[in-house]
Amino acid sequence: MSNTDNSLYPGLNLTGVQSEANEKAETNVFGFWVFLMSDLIIFGILFATYAAYLNPVGLAGGPGPQELFDIKSVAIQTGLLLLGGVAYGGVSLGVKYDSAAKKVMLWLAISAILGAGFVFFEVSDFIDQAHKGGIPQASGWLSSYWTLVGLHGLHVSVGILWIIAMITQIKTRGLDDTVKIRLSMLGVFWHFLDLIWVGIFSLVFLVPLS
Amino acid sequence: MTKPNTGEVNPKDTAAHEIRSYATGFVISLILTIAAFAAVLSDLSPTLKILIICIAALLQVTTHLRNFLHLSFSGNQSREDLLLVLFSASLLSIMAGGTIWILSDLHGRMHGDQAAHAEPAEHSHNRAPED
Repeated sequence: MSNTDNSLYPGLNLTGVQSEANEKAETNVFGFWVFLMSDLIIFGILFATYAAYLNPVGLAGGPGPQELFDIKSVAIQTGLLLLGGVAYGGVSLGVKYDSAAKKVMLWLAISAILGAGFVFFEVSDFIDQAHKGGIPQASGWLSSYWTLVGLHGLHVSVGILWIIAMITQIKTRGLDDTVKIRLSMLGVFWHFLDLIWVGIFSLVFLVPLS
Repeated sequence: MTKPNTGEVNPKDTAAHEIRSYATGFVISLILTIAAFAAVLSDLSPTLKILIICIAALLQVTTHLRNFLHLSFSGNQSREDLLLVLFSASLLSIMAGGTIWILSDLHGRMHGDQAAHAEPAEHSHNRAPED
């Protein structure tokens, strides 16, 4: 592996320093960051809405955090998502240091399974909360809770679908430049969801419980 | 853009070096997560608990940006992505902070101290039909 091969892009190991693929990767990944920052604004405003409803008026006599939240399940979800994020590091390093396509696919599969475990616990929490009367229309606070946490869960689900699509693409196309660029964008997306979850478990679950 | 957004790789960087970086990020994140959960389960005062949770969250977000999203805080790579993140964060703090400020102010005026505001509220209520 020569120096020029990987003097660009920690997530990528494209051929030739000044190749079109490198320029494309630079533009695409930066553009994807811009998209994620707009996503961050959406999440941030939903966080603010949630905080504004976290009072007796916002609860409107409906069930509150103490009755609905299960701290053990939140801890399990946090662990699964954190491990899923770290597992994606295997994908990024595999692409950068020219690992076999099989190894990259294995790390992708591990990330997807951990993400699916997260979604499973989240959905069973939602079902449990709905049985306890914590439905979105019960109060303003619950509407904001379902929107914020539900939107994050939807993002993770879409991320899992994206991972499955990438495994299929590696199988059909191999690890070519286009696939590598897509994998590095998926990596930014996947780690970003982990970052949003840090805000959710801290501000949505732990702050009302303390 | 003079340098790539995703950063330049030091030729001396090896896979082992980067695996260590991921491992460091994981261990720090794990410690901060456990600290936040432990704070909630402890007997500390609610204010102190919330303070610990917020500081742990802020540190963990920084760790994620640095170790997992490869955002460099030093000058040895392109600053575009860092500027983008900082700009978005400042926009967000204005919008989210402003929302919380305005709504909590409104909440205080409308429901905060019911006894103190009972009279003017009643007053306007009585006057409404006349208008």
